[in-house]
Amino acid sequence: MKMPDKAIVPQPEELDREFYRATVAAGGLCIQHCSHCGTWTHPARYFCPNCSGSEFSFDKVSGRASIYSYTVSHTTAEAAWKDLVPYITLVAELDEGPRIVAAAHGFKPDTVMIGEPVRIFTENRTEDFAFFWAQPAESTTP
Amino acid sequence: MNAFNLSGKAAIVGIAETDYLRGADQSILQMIISASMGAIRDAGLKPGDVDGIIPPPGFVAWDEIAAHLGVPNVRYTVCSQMGGASATASLLTAAMAIASGVADVVLMTVGWNGYSAIRPRPDARPNKRRFNAAFFETVKNYYAPYGLRSAPWWYSLYLQRYARHYNVPPEAAGAIALACRKHAQLNPKAMMRDRPLTMEEYLASPLIVEPLRKLDCCIETDCAAAVVMTSIERAKDLPHVPVTFLGGAEGHPNRPDELVNRKDVLDLGLDLAAPRAFAMAGVTKEDMDFLQIYDCFTYVALLEIEALGYAERGGAHEFIKDGNIELGGRFPMNTHGGLMSQGHCWGMNHIVEAVRQLRHEGGKAQVTDCELGLVTGYGDLGDGSIAILGRGSR
Repeated sequence: MKMPDKAIVPQPEELDREFYRATVAAGGLCIQHCSHCGTWTHPARYFCPNCSGSEFSFDKVSGRASIYSYTVSHTTAEAAWKDLVPYITLVAELDEGPRIVAAAHGFKPDTVMIGEPVRIFTENRTEDFAFFWAQPAESTTP
Repeated sequence: MNAFNLSGKAAIVGIAETDYLRGADQSILQMIISASMGAIRDAGLKPGDVDGIIPPPGFVAWDEIAAHLGVPNVRYTVCSQMGGASATASLLTAAMAIASGVADVVLMTVGWNGYSAIRPRPDARPNKRRFNAAFFETVKNYYAPYGLRSAPWWYSLYLQRYARHYNVPPEAAGAIALACRKHAQLNPKAMMRDRPLTMEEYLASPLIVEPLRKLDCCIETDCAAAVVMTSIERAKDLPHVPVTFLGGAEGHPNRPDELVNRKDVLDLGLDLAAPRAFAMAGVTKEDMDFLQIYDCFTYVALLEIEALGYAERGGAHEFIKDGNIELGGRFPMNTHGGLMSQGHCWGMNHIVEAVRQLRHEGGKAQVTDCELGLVTGYGDLGDGSIAILGRGSR
């Protein structure tokens, strides 16, 4: 699995960059974790939305998630994705709570189901960006 | 603490809109200035009477509007940063400024080249004017890498959950598109006049990004519109019957700058705003004679109908059945054609139409003897706004 060539690679700033840098360095999804109350938050925030604490770390999560929502793109204006339609994008709800947007691999447009368990894999692209893949829960390798 | 009640303190006295075009000869600034001067003249006022300006959330700034119109003494300006919810939210802000005496005559305007910016003519001058919003950081960092680069794609992340979780039939979204298109046939300024639409044609429209078909999306337009508000006392001396601001509110989902981590991704700012606006106005949803609902996408309009209280979450398809939202029905919606079929003017065209209706100048689309109506706004990633307007001073 590989992020499409020429797909947009962001150059994140502030906490978004810290989040991606931690994820790239760990080789797996790391989510902001409040040092005070333990709340997981994504995207990362300077103050914890639960306790207003400002100390946190980016900690590796289990990668277990379920499909909260999804969409199927039947057309695109982007050259990077033109040959890939119809492509599926998931909103995956991590077991830890936060939701992320991820590209689906191993699903079909007419059978993808809200609630279905998935597993999240990351693909390092730059020092500051990793692409997220969601695969069927039984997947053990990306 | 009870807020000072703004209801009935201010009225819309001037309206104007440009043509709705694909490929305007005028620049954004020219269109905005033209609509603004039109609204001031429609109010029977002069630029020197204006002392408050609320500019669009991007493209053109208040100071160039003031300078080009010749407004010599701006006492108050503020910009409402919520995309398509800005225009309707501005009515609340303007009423506050007027009722408190900070300003006497407030001009609000929105305009853009929503078509030409994306598809410029070969001979067009380069256009550097941009709409900017904080959530673009979210989109850039978390959605765009996945081939979700513009509004239909990122909104689909939650609209598909709405369609699937509540089994919303495509015909329900289609009914929104059809009502707007039907009403556009009565509006000489609508881009989609002379192009009627059937449910069969709607259902045959190609899927863009699920659940959105091409005909679920509003139309790219070059246009501008403007309205002028003043105190109810001053409004009584001006040429048109005042259209009174009876209630209004804005609301924002938590968290406002990101879509998918809300407790329920279907939460709209309008869920929070609508009850406050009805309470301020002292009326109920049943009192409305028409609904001008922000219709960037048909499914968003369905969710707004639910947020207004006309249906439970997931139940709007029952409300919109049997022509209920068409002229002749109980709650005619978007009597000008809306963003779907008149053109995309960021909802300022919905306000202009609400005023036309309440002046009883709605032409062939007039809602007979209407007295009360509402306008909504929806913008960025779910910001909401609402205004309840009434005919004459009350």
